[in-house]
Amino acid sequence: MLEVRNVFKTFNPATPNEVLALQGVDLTIERGTFVIVVGTNGSGKSTLLNAVAGSFFVDGGRITIAGHDVTRWPEHRRATLIGRVFQNPFSGTAPDMSIAENIALAARRGRRRGLAWALRGNFADEMRARVRGLGMRLEERLDNAIGSLSGGQRQALTLLMATWCKPELLLLDEHTAALDPKSADQIVRLSDEAIARDELTTLHRGRIIHDLAGAEKRRLRVDDLLARFEEVRRGEQLDESAAQLLRRAYV
Amino acid sequence: MTLLLGALTIGLILSLLALGVFISFRVFDFPDITTDGSITLGAAIAAVLLVKGVNPFVASAAGFCGGAVAGATTGVLHTKCKINGLLSGILVMTALYSINLHVMGKSNVPLLSAATFASDAERILTALKGGDTALHVLGWEVAARDAAVLVLVLATIVLAALALYAFLRTDLGTAMRATGDNPQMIRALGVDVGNMTIIGLALANGLIGLSGALLAQYQGFADVQMGIGMVVWGLASVIIGEALVGTTQLGLVITGAIMGSVLFRLLVAIALRAGLNPNDLKLMTATFVFAALILPGLVARARKGAGRA
Ligand SMILES: Nc1ncnc2c1ncn2[C@@H]1O[C@H](COP(=O)(O)OP(=O)(O)OP(=O)(O)O)[C@@H](O)[C@H]1O
Ligand SMILES: [Mg+2]
Repeated sequence: MLEVRNVFKTFNPATPNEVLALQGVDLTIERGTFVIVVGTNGSGKSTLLNAVAGSFFVDGGRITIAGHDVTRWPEHRRATLIGRVFQNPFSGTAPDMSIAENIALAARRGRRRGLAWALRGNFADEMRARVRGLGMRLEERLDNAIGSLSGGQRQALTLLMATWCKPELLLLDEHTAALDPKSADQIVRLSDEAIARDELTTLHRGRIIHDLAGAEKRRLRVDDLLARFEEVRRGEQLDESAAQLLRRAYV
Repeated sequence: MTLLLGALTIGLILSLLALGVFISFRVFDFPDITTDGSITLGAAIAAVLLVKGVNPFVASAAGFCGGAVAGATTGVLHTKCKINGLLSGILVMTALYSINLHVMGKSNVPLLSAATFASDAERILTALKGGDTALHVLGWEVAARDAAVLVLVLATIVLAALALYAFLRTDLGTAMRATGDNPQMIRALGVDVGNMTIIGLALANGLIGLSGALLAQYQGFADVQMGIGMVVWGLASVIIGEALVGTTQLGLVITGAIMGSVLFRLLVAIALRAGLNPNDLKLMTATFVFAALILPGLVARARKGAGRA
């Protein structure tokens, strides 16, 4: 499904700011599996996800998704295969446009965009039904600008948009990090549902919470990994409350 | 009355300029200086064709196409050659000055004897009314020619605005708006941001070129200097329009830009009538835009200051 072979990426080569971000990374992910990448801050997890998404070209190596060699494909072309949710809830939606228009944009991900109406008549019912599935009552606000929604609501919509057309690969870049625990819970539940429903292949960037030596290379089944995902998430919440405890004690 | 009609007509013609500036500055957040050159290019192409006896409709369409090519060039310089957006526009605008002189062959092309949309409008009206050269509207007597031209211009603007509104709600148009709103997102949804910017700038400068083509026909000449400061003029119209409608709803913003252009032209006509030196016009326009740009920030700061005190 996803194959990353011997990928290299150096930022600012041959300058004092040179960063060897990816050095010979190999990664194979089978169809329908859920993989979490863990590592210390600055170890290159985001860089790996960006390399797969095509935010930049890698210096060496090969990336294959669903049988297509995408190494030289620009980001917008890889979008035909990839659905993506960013860490920042504001990155995944166009704030000045309505919920309905944002979804209409996502519904044509990777397809030709011509002069047909973006909001076709028969589209409204499907949209309302799927937005209702988020359980946030947003189906009544389809004409509101997305910029008027909360971060959690926007992230939920981004997730819905990323999976609107079934992607070959779903990239989640620590997509609950900026949310409060309750919204994060909701997003995790929605992610689980979408992934289970469409049997998606998912690469998720998580923060390290305990030592998982060699975990990056482990290949697990969906169920194990969803459990592991829960664990990571709880760990993140623990982290946060611990930070609060410290703050309360010292500030 | 003639003065009012004239201001109204020019305001409507320049509202195409305002719509173009709206697309580049507001939809794409791209400070596109090409405007000053593309409005003259549209006028130059139309004027030269009209002198050759080409149909005014075809000549105006050619003005649109000329502007569109200029805009696309700026887009290519910016997205493919990675030149700063402002500088891309300045380069194309500068080059256009020479190109416009070449197109026209001299610095001014008069259209006194050529058939223009204005003379066409007059002809249609006389055919309908039969020879009478004056009309009575609401008790005022207006020259038939002026009224006919105004009606034709109004119809053109309404059509152009409706077409633009419809376009911005298609798959392509929404992708274009999202490109300005959140490029990272639209790239992840499979849109080539570079190409979208090129198409958008072509559309914007096409409208601006059309505006120039109509302006040349209305005032009866094309001049190589006529584009100077037009980008600021368009921006002033857009800003007034935003203040008038006060929302970000697409249909209203487009209507607002047109109303802003007409209102601004009327204000200018009144100021000139009241004795403003025409040489000061560009200074006044620039000062106005400057004030409109910084005043909201100053007011907000003053409010915050007052709140704290
Ligand atoms: N565009 C860039 N230019 C220069 N250096 C970069 C760039 N992007 C990332 N880096 C560097 O590459 C290294 C890996 O960064 P990356 O963001 O992938 O880490 P990460 O594993 O996601 O960390 P975190 O857990 O903090 O998010 C870091 O040293 C970072 O400074
Ligand atoms: Mg990171």
